[in-house]
Amino acid sequence: MQKTRMGMTPGLIAIVGFLTVCPVVMLILGSFSEGLNAFGTFTLSKYVKAYTDPAFAEILVNTAIFTIGSAIVSTVLALFLAYLNTRTNIPFKFMFRIISLIPMMVPHILFAVSWVLLLNPSNGMINLFLRQVFGWEGAALSIYTLQGMILVEGLLDLPIAYLVIAPAMSAFDVSLEESSKVCGASNLRTLMRVTLPVLRPAILAAATLVIVRSLASFAVPSVIGMPGRIYVLATHIYRVVATGYVTDYGMAAAVGMSALAASITLIFLYRHLTREGEKYVTISSRGYRPSVIDLKGARYPLFGIVALLSFVLIILPVLVLFYTSVVPYSMVPSAKAFAMMGWKHWIAVLKDPVSLLSLKNSLYLGVGGATLGMILSFFVAYVIVKVRTKASGFLESLSFLSFSFPGIVVGIGFMWFFVQTPLYATIWALLIGYIATYLPYGIRPLTSAFVQIHSNLEESSRVCGGGPLYTMRRIVIPLLVPGIVSGWILMATMFVRELSLSVVLSRPGTEVLAVQILRFAEDGLWGRLSALGIIMIFISTTLVVIASRIGAKLTKVDK
Amino acid sequence: MEISIKGLNKNYYSEGKTIAALDQVDLIIPANRIFTLLGPSGCGKTTLLRCIVGLEMPDSGEIAIGGEVVFSTEKGIYVPPDRRGLGMVFQTYAIWPHMNVFDNVAYPLQTRNEPKDDIRRKVEKTLHFVQLDGFEKRPATKLSGGQQQRVALARALVAEPKVILFDEPLSNLDAKLREETRKELRAFLTELKITAVYVTHDRIEALSLSDTVAVMKSGRIVEMGTPREIYFDSDRRFVADFIGRANFIEGRVATVGEGETTVDSAIGAIACEKKINASPGAAVTVCIRPEFIRVLKADHNVGRNIFRGKVESLVFVGDAYEGEIRVGETLLIFRIEPTTAVREGEEIALHFDPRHCSILLN
Ligand SMILES: Nc1ncnc2c1ncn2[C@@H]1O[C@H](COP(=O)(O)OP(=O)(O)O)[C@@H](O)[C@H]1O
Ligand SMILES: [Mg+2]
Repeated sequence: MQKTRMGMTPGLIAIVGFLTVCPVVMLILGSFSEGLNAFGTFTLSKYVKAYTDPAFAEILVNTAIFTIGSAIVSTVLALFLAYLNTRTNIPFKFMFRIISLIPMMVPHILFAVSWVLLLNPSNGMINLFLRQVFGWEGAALSIYTLQGMILVEGLLDLPIAYLVIAPAMSAFDVSLEESSKVCGASNLRTLMRVTLPVLRPAILAAATLVIVRSLASFAVPSVIGMPGRIYVLATHIYRVVATGYVTDYGMAAAVGMSALAASITLIFLYRHLTREGEKYVTISSRGYRPSVIDLKGARYPLFGIVALLSFVLIILPVLVLFYTSVVPYSMVPSAKAFAMMGWKHWIAVLKDPVSLLSLKNSLYLGVGGATLGMILSFFVAYVIVKVRTKASGFLESLSFLSFSFPGIVVGIGFMWFFVQTPLYATIWALLIGYIATYLPYGIRPLTSAFVQIHSNLEESSRVCGGGPLYTMRRIVIPLLVPGIVSGWILMATMFVRELSLSVVLSRPGTEVLAVQILRFAEDGLWGRLSALGIIMIFISTTLVVIASRIGAKLTKVDK
Repeated sequence: MEISIKGLNKNYYSEGKTIAALDQVDLIIPANRIFTLLGPSGCGKTTLLRCIVGLEMPDSGEIAIGGEVVFSTEKGIYVPPDRRGLGMVFQTYAIWPHMNVFDNVAYPLQTRNEPKDDIRRKVEKTLHFVQLDGFEKRPATKLSGGQQQRVALARALVAEPKVILFDEPLSNLDAKLREETRKELRAFLTELKITAVYVTHDRIEALSLSDTVAVMKSGRIVEMGTPREIYFDSDRRFVADFIGRANFIEGRVATVGEGETTVDSAIGAIACEKKINASPGAAVTVCIRPEFIRVLKADHNVGRNIFRGKVESLVFVGDAYEGEIRVGETLLIFRIEPTTAVREGEEIALHFDPRHCSILLN
C-alpha cells in the first residue's frame, strides 16, 4: 500500500506539471520565435513590436484603472455587506449567503450583456425610457465607458471579495473594539480607528484577488469595453490574435508575458496577505460571538440596499435576458411590447446549426470535463492530504499555480502547443485547457473532504473487521461524496460558461456556448443571444440539481 | 486471552532523523485482567497499541494473541487488523459522522454478515450495557463527548472480542466526567472478564483502573507490577517520580541491618525498612511521598526518623494543606489533614515512617 502511494506522486506531478507548466513554457518560447512554430528562429522582434506600439501605454493605463477600480468597488461593497451581516442585527441574513453564491448562477458574459441591454447608448432600455419620458436627446447614459466596465466587473467580483472579508470579519476580536469604546470613542470612530486597521490584511487580500480576477476577466472588457474602443490587456491580446487585421501569436505571447507576470506576482502577494490576516485571527479564538450592533431605524433602509443589490446581481440580469429574448427588438416594457412578444429568437437559435453545435460541445465539455477533472483532482487531493512528503507539497503548489493564470494567456500558450499536435482544433484541446485552468476548483473541495476523514475513521473500520474494500465502500466514499459533488458542480458550471480560454482555442466545429454568445454580441443579435443565454443558465442549473441529487443518493449507502 | 510480545522494535523516520518508538519491547499481558500502559506522552504507548491491533507494522519482533501468532518477522506472519478480532476505542473515538448510533455500533456485526435480527438484538443489548438505551436513531454528530465515548465503547464490545484496547479514552472529557467514566469503565470491564489493554499518561487513571501497570519510557517498558507495587515499591527514580509526587533525598548507605537500612543524608540519618541490595557506602536516593510526612509539635523527640524544620509555605487546597518544610538546606514537600493546626513560619518536628521510606539505586 505504502509503495503504490509513493509511486503515485511522481505520476501526478508529471500530469499536473504538464497542465500548468506547458502553457507557460510554450508562451515563453512562442514569444521569442519567428513564425507559427514555437521552436522557430529566435527573435526579440515580438517584444519590440508589442511594447513600442504607441497604443500600448494607453492600454496599460486602462488596465490599471479598470482592475484597481473594480477592486475598490467590490471591496467596499463587500466590506459593507460583511459588516452588516456579521456585526449588526440586519434582518433576513440568508440574503448574504445568496449573494456570496451567485457566481454559480449567472455567467459573467450574460451579466455583462444584460447591462449592455439596459444601458447601451443607442437602444439600451434605460436610455430608451429616458428618451421617451423626459424627451432626452441622444444617449443619456452609456455603459461603454471605463466607469461602466468598472461598475459591472466590480459587481461580478463582489462575491469573491465577500468570501475573503466575511470570515475575517466574523473572527474579529470584539474586545479590541470594546476597549476602544470604554476609552470613550464613538461607534464610527471605533470603526475607523480600530476595526478597519485590524482587518487591513483581509481587505488588501480581497482587493488583490479582485485585481487578479479582473486582469484575467474577458467577458466585461469584450462585451462592454470593445464596443466603446476601450482596450485592456486581455482584449488587446484578443484583438491581436482573433480580429483579422494583424494576427500575430508571437506578439500576443509577448504581451501575455506581462499579464502573466503581474498575475503571478499578485497571487504571491495575496498568499502573503492571507497569512498575515490569519495572524490577527488567531488572537480571537476564544469562542465568543461578536457583539451585535443595533441598527435601530436604519435596519430596514439598510436591508433595502442589500435587497436592491441582490436584485441587481441575480434577478435583473435574468429578467432582462428573458425579456429581450421574447420581444422582437429593443423596446421599453409596455403594453405594445407585451402584445408583440413571441418565440421568434428562440426558434432562430434552435434552428441555428452553430448554436446547436455549441450547445452540444459545452454540454459535453461540462459533463465530461468535470468528470475527468474530478478524477484527476481526487488523486491530487489524496496525495496532498494523505501522503504528505516534500513531493506532495510541491504538487500542491503546482496545482494551485494555475489559479493565477489569465485564461486568455493560458489559451495562447496552449495554442502554441496544440498546433504541434493532432489535437489542434479538436474538442480535446478545449478539454485539456479547461482542466488545466480550473483544476484548483476541483482540488479545493476534495482536499477539505480528505482532511475531514481522519485516518482513525478508516482504521477503526479495519479493527471492527472491515477489509480494505469494505472500508472504502462504507466509510471513505460516503464521506468524500459531498466534496466530490461540490467540486464537480463547480467545474461543470465553470466549463459550461467558459469564455476567455475558449475564444483562443475554439475553432470552427468546436464552438462553445460562451463564444457563440460573444459572436451574437459582436453582431448585435441581442434576441438570439438572450435566448441562448437563458438556455445556458438553464443547463448550468440543471447540472447543479442533478449532481446534488446523485450526491444525496450516494451518501445514503446500503448496509 | 493472553498477549505475548517478544523483541518488538519500531522506528519512525522523519526529517532525516530516526525515532525509536519501540525499543526491544518484551511483554506478557495477562488474560482477563485490566492491563495499563503508563508513560509520558511520546514514549511509544500508542505505537505499541497500534502494533497489537495491526494498524502498524513493527520492524522486527513477534506478537501472539491467545497463542496465535499474529505478527512475526521471523516467520513472515502479518494478520491484518480486520482479521485479528479485537475491539478498540480510539483517543479520537473515531465515530463515523455519516451514520447514526445504531449503524456505528452494528458495524462490526455487519462486516461479519450476521443476520439482521441478531444484529438488532446484540446492538440493543450493548447499548443498554453502556446506558445508551433509545439512542439508536440519533445521528453520530449530535452526541456529546461522553456519549461518543460510550458509543465507541459499545462498538468495541458488540462483537464480544476477547481483547479490548483503549487509547487514552478519557483524555477528551472534562475533569468531572472523566472521574465518573473511569469508575464506570472499571465496573464494565470487571463485569465482562475480558483482557483489556489501556493506554494512558494519567497516573490516577492507571492506578485506579488497573490490575497490572507497565510503565514505559522512550520506547521501553521500565517496570511492571500491581498499582501498589508500582506506587510503593518501585526502585527506579523515573517510575517513583512519574507515578506520584515525591521527595528525593540523596545519601549514602550507612548500615545494612536485619529488615532495616540506614542512610546518611543532608538532613541526617534516615531509617528505611525496605530491603535493598546495597552495601554500606553506596550512593542511593531515599524517596518519601508527601502524604507520609507527619508534622509534630516542635518539642517532640521520641522515636526514629524525627527531624526539625520550619514551615516555609502552606497552601489550603480543600481536602488538605500542601506546603514545603525546610530542613537545613533541604526543602521537602508535604501534605497534611486540613484540620491540623500549623502556621507558615512555625518551627516544627517531622517524622517519616520507616515503612514508607523507599531506597532507590542511583
Ligand atoms: N507516524 C509517525 N511518524 C513519525 N514519528 C512518529 C509517528 N507516530 C509516532 N511517532 C513518534 O514516535 C514516538 C512515539 O509516539 P506515540 O506512540 O504516539 O507516543 P504516545 O502515544 O506514548 O504519546 C513519538 O516520538 C512520536 O513523535
Ligand atoms: Mg498516544
